[in-house]
Amino acid sequence: MAKFDLTSKMGQYLDRHLVFPLLEFLSAKGIYNETELLKAKLDILSKTNMIDYAIDIRKQLYPDEEVPEDLKQRRIHVVAQLQELQQEVEPILQIMGDDEVMKNMENMRDSKTLINFLSKDYKFEIEMIDSLHKLAKYRYECGNYSVSTSYLYFCMLVLPPNDKNYLSALWGKFASEILVQNWDSALEDLNKLREYIDSSPNQFGGNSLQLLQQRTWLIHWSLFVFFNHAMGRELIIEMFLYRPHYLNAIQTMCPHILRYLATAVIINRGRRSALKDLVKVIQQESYTYRDPITEFLEHLYVNFDFDGARQKLHECQTVLFNDFFLISCLDEFVENARLMIFETFCRIHQCISISMLAEKLNMNPDEAECWIVNLIRNARLDAKIDSKLGHVVMGAQPLSPYQQLIEKIDSLSVRSETLCGLIDRKLKARTDVSGL
Amino acid sequence: MSRFFAGSDTDSDSSSEEEQIQRPQVPVYTFSDDEEEVKRVVRSAKEKRYEELTNIIKQIRNYKKIKDMSSMLNSFEELQKAYLKAAPVVLKEENGQTPRFFIRCLVELEDFINEMWEDRDGRKNLSKNNSKSLGSMRQKLRKYLKDFEDDVAKFRENPEQPDDEEEEERPEAEPDSDSELPSKSQFTKAPAKQQVVEDKDESSDSDDWPSDTDSSSESSDDDEGKYTSMRERFLKRPGGATHEDYEEKERRKEERRKERKDKDRRKMPKDEEEDGEGEWETVQRGVAIPSEKPKMFAKDAEIDLSLVIKKLSEIMAARGKKRTDRREQIELLHELQNVSDQHQLGPAIYVKIKLAIISAIFDYNPKVSDAMKPEYWLKLLERMSECLDLLLSNPQLLVSDTVTEETENLEEAPYRIRGCVLTSVERLDDEFIKLLKECDPHSNEYVERLKDEAKVSNIIDKTMKYLERSNVSSELCRIYLRKIEHLYYKFDPKVLQQKAGDASVPKDAVTSVQEMEKLCKFIYAKDSTDRLRTRAILSHIYHHALHDNWFQARDLVLMSHLQETIQHSDPSTQILYNRMMAHLGLCAFRHANIKDAHNCLVDLMMTGKPKELLAQGLLPQRQHERSKEQEKIEKQRQMPFHMHINLELLECVYLVSAMLIEIPYMAAHEFDARRRMISKTFYQQLRSSERQSLVGPPESMREHVVAAAKAMRNGNWSACNNFIINEKMNAKVWDLFYQADQVRAMLTKLIKEESLRTYLFTYSHVYDSISMATLAEMFELDKAVVHSTISKMIINEELMASLDDPTQTVVMHRSEPSRLQSLALQLADKVNNFVDSNERILETKQGNFFLRGANQVRVGFVPGNFRGDRQNYRGSTNQNWDRQRRDRNRDKDNY
Repeated sequence: MAKFDLTSKMGQYLDRHLVFPLLEFLSAKGIYNETELLKAKLDILSKTNMIDYAIDIRKQLYPDEEVPEDLKQRRIHVVAQLQELQQEVEPILQIMGDDEVMKNMENMRDSKTLINFLSKDYKFEIEMIDSLHKLAKYRYECGNYSVSTSYLYFCMLVLPPNDKNYLSALWGKFASEILVQNWDSALEDLNKLREYIDSSPNQFGGNSLQLLQQRTWLIHWSLFVFFNHAMGRELIIEMFLYRPHYLNAIQTMCPHILRYLATAVIINRGRRSALKDLVKVIQQESYTYRDPITEFLEHLYVNFDFDGARQKLHECQTVLFNDFFLISCLDEFVENARLMIFETFCRIHQCISISMLAEKLNMNPDEAECWIVNLIRNARLDAKIDSKLGHVVMGAQPLSPYQQLIEKIDSLSVRSETLCGLIDRKLKARTDVSGL
Repeated sequence: MSRFFAGSDTDSDSSSEEEQIQRPQVPVYTFSDDEEEVKRVVRSAKEKRYEELTNIIKQIRNYKKIKDMSSMLNSFEELQKAYLKAAPVVLKEENGQTPRFFIRCLVELEDFINEMWEDRDGRKNLSKNNSKSLGSMRQKLRKYLKDFEDDVAKFRENPEQPDDEEEEERPEAEPDSDSELPSKSQFTKAPAKQQVVEDKDESSDSDDWPSDTDSSSESSDDDEGKYTSMRERFLKRPGGATHEDYEEKERRKEERRKERKDKDRRKMPKDEEEDGEGEWETVQRGVAIPSEKPKMFAKDAEIDLSLVIKKLSEIMAARGKKRTDRREQIELLHELQNVSDQHQLGPAIYVKIKLAIISAIFDYNPKVSDAMKPEYWLKLLERMSECLDLLLSNPQLLVSDTVTEETENLEEAPYRIRGCVLTSVERLDDEFIKLLKECDPHSNEYVERLKDEAKVSNIIDKTMKYLERSNVSSELCRIYLRKIEHLYYKFDPKVLQQKAGDASVPKDAVTSVQEMEKLCKFIYAKDSTDRLRTRAILSHIYHHALHDNWFQARDLVLMSHLQETIQHSDPSTQILYNRMMAHLGLCAFRHANIKDAHNCLVDLMMTGKPKELLAQGLLPQRQHERSKEQEKIEKQRQMPFHMHINLELLECVYLVSAMLIEIPYMAAHEFDARRRMISKTFYQQLRSSERQSLVGPPESMREHVVAAAKAMRNGNWSACNNFIINEKMNAKVWDLFYQADQVRAMLTKLIKEESLRTYLFTYSHVYDSISMATLAEMFELDKAVVHSTISKMIINEELMASLDDPTQTVVMHRSEPSRLQSLALQLADKVNNFVDSNERILETKQGNFFLRGANQVRVGFVPGNFRGDRQNYRGSTNQNWDRQRRDRNRDKDNY
């Protein structure tokens, strides 16, 4: 199933550290050759400071070989460096150790007063922030994400938003939160970051190309949050489909994100209205990107080809099963997709045989009947089952012309009345004014 | 005419020579050096006065030669004044004796005037002004001479005596000439006499330079020789103003005229003048046979770089002057080229001369609007490619307009030459288009000319290569655009073969689309002028559309946002935009995107003058005549024939797409009061055919489409298909597509589907239920397609029906309103409208109406950067397109 695997495409928009979970997932699935994956991991690690991890993987990869000397050397060097950096920011670390001060800090309005406050009482210098930022980065490189989170939090409190380090601090914080799987604060950071990028005029002085790049990165990183946070399914539609900037970014840079967007729309039963917009986008991009999930929607909502949709649904399951982000919502997806097929089916048909329905939904007839009964019982379907013939007969009758007419002129009198009222009021006001 | 002699060889040459050698000397009637040293201070006053006098005398002599009496009169008056001024000096220096040279002049003048007076024939021929002057001159002179009677008499006695004592050391020539004066009067024939005067003048000219022997000009040299012989002749046969002489004089005059014409180039370096005789001959020949190649340098002249450069600048100096013979200039330059080739003066001068030739050829045609002559065009092509070849083969050469004349380096590498290849190439390209437009597009001539397209493209390629060497992005952009403009309209079948995976085209072969991509991307990135980028984008889209890259073309259109700004651009860019739209429409049609095809083409077709919008010909205007200028301008904008888009194809595609959209729509909204026409043009066609009482079998393309539309209205897909796709239509339209069979198959499929829809709309009220199998059979469609089509209609609530799965039938709900019901519904609609407008009126009065309007606008327009309102493509953008283009059309109508 490597055909629909997007890891290689996603990888180029993710941070090194964020790729690890994906690779771990892939090795668990066993789609790719294990040694190749390990090599890839090692390659990624070579630029980080997670030497121990690298050594582990090396051992896995080449069990016979000794750990090379330069790795050991590097480890020592890294530790030394870390220590050095730690020394530089000692005062800040002390401040951070003090809970009361931290509480005070959070209540400060802006960074200026904060800096004044700190430098007065705690031997704080603004230059230290640079070092702290460096240290946070170093910690992050070493894999100490939670430590780096707290450092960066401090950075962001102190730094003004137009500082050159502010953006990277935001990104660093976001990545660290994702990596420590602290989804709530990750979501918070995501929003902060998005506001920062979208603010116009943007505060980091990027041109439109850089903006596009930033957004593309944000889109990819945010997938971690959206598919893990409880609110994610709402938010992903909100952000990807209804924010033109991000939709443009998806269409221009990374149409493969449509898979996630489509999945999110499908599993979100409350947002059926989004389907129409999504289908439009999918159709527009169909020449640059297609996979079973987008094709499923296309079959169902463009061509009304239920057989095709059924087939695609089948394929979708494998795709979802092998996708790091989507595996958690596999069942939900299947359930909702079925429902979608069924709903559409019901809108078109007035009489369906249960056996055919079962076939279209990848179910056995009994199961299907049970499922339909449940739907009818939950009042989500106006239908009756003709059990002798094995048919489901829809109950809905179309609007008669008479009803149409009634509907059309229903509001007229009310509207006219309000109009009259308005005029009356106006007239009154005028006579009042003239009377005075 | 006063410049006649002043500008002659003799003068200009000798002065230039003299200035180097004898600058300190006063030019005329100087005195020997030693005397000057003794009495310098006193002399200067005399000198000054005398100089003034001699100058005037000289002038008078000149006028005598050309018989310009009025000027002579003026000069004579001046002379009087000058003498008056000089009188004190004369009194002091010469002891009251009038200077001899002054007397001589007066005597000569008297003789001349008398002579003129007596020559009645000649006098008649004089112009009115001149004859009047002659009369007054005669009187004035007589009066004036009375004052000098004694002196004149004295002079007449002994005319041979030298003018002044100081000048005694003068050569013999002077007395010689003097001695002739009396004899001169014997000749009655004016020309002959004039000859003598002229001769005398010449000799006295040479007299002016006592120490100068070898610096005199060839003509004066020659004169001297001739002079003697002539004098002999005069002596021997004083009566006959010999015919020979006359002839020779005439010839010489003529020659002089010619010399004056190209005096600059005839100028000879000093050392060549010794070979005066040979030179003389050449010139004579040149006069006899004007077409003969002009000679550049003397045979044995030592030709080196500086000489050639000098020559070149001389020739170029004459450029653009009124009397310069442009053809001769070209020939001269070619000759110069040969000379420099023979002497191998290096590539730089070669290029320099080549560039000069090219610009001379451009100059040849004085009118910008007219095309150049074919023979010059061919020459131009050759020169251009030669020049570029040399530039390419020689990396040491730098031709640039940033090189100033001072920093030019033609002698050694690295060469630096002033000039601009790019501009010449651009001009050449423009000329090529002009040439093509000049030809009748259906003649053989056009084909012949079009063959040069390859050469022009080749030249542009070479220029590209050359410019890539220097890598100035603005210049590169310009030449890339030229390349693009030669590329964008050409269809490259390799592209489609490669896309289809044809084995005959290797996967990695560079197709024109890829080349286009490369060039355009460069321009997108580097161009700083908006115009180049706009044109590049338009050409790029055009090229994509031509090669069926529908999605890329569409995305480019939407990303560029050109439809919003195109009406502000220049007409030729607008034309390109229209052409692009036309091809985009065709491309959409081939891709079965009928709606898009219709939207692209609607504005081109709606005005009824696509021909004009695409600049493929002028239409006669009904309301107002074009002025001549306007017509000229419009003609200049026309596309050359080989770039035309087939209008019949365009119209047919448009009508067919309109039919596919409009007919089902008409069927669906038969009773709808608010039905709108989707395509006005199509509607008109349909109407006019319905109005005819007798409809014959279709002949033209339009009639075919109309007949097909009528068949489709009845749901008769096969008749419709036969009207659209048949032998006639194939020959007229469909075979023009590259993959015609695919297009036809696509069309048939669409016709079937749309006919099915129309059928269902039209006849659903007579059915209670209808089997899908029957429908599939009727329209020869797959059951799945029928199913999907009907499903779509049901979902979109176009068809009030539902499917019955077990029996595979469509069950109608009979909800189509009856006539009365539909009327009632219409009434309800109208009442609704009424209420709406009422509300709107109130809102306007309250003033918040505009606010709402503004909001509505914003919904349709998303001011996104980069990809912008792409997702609106199917929604409001289309309407935007339409509106924009319509505005632009209006603009075009106005120019």
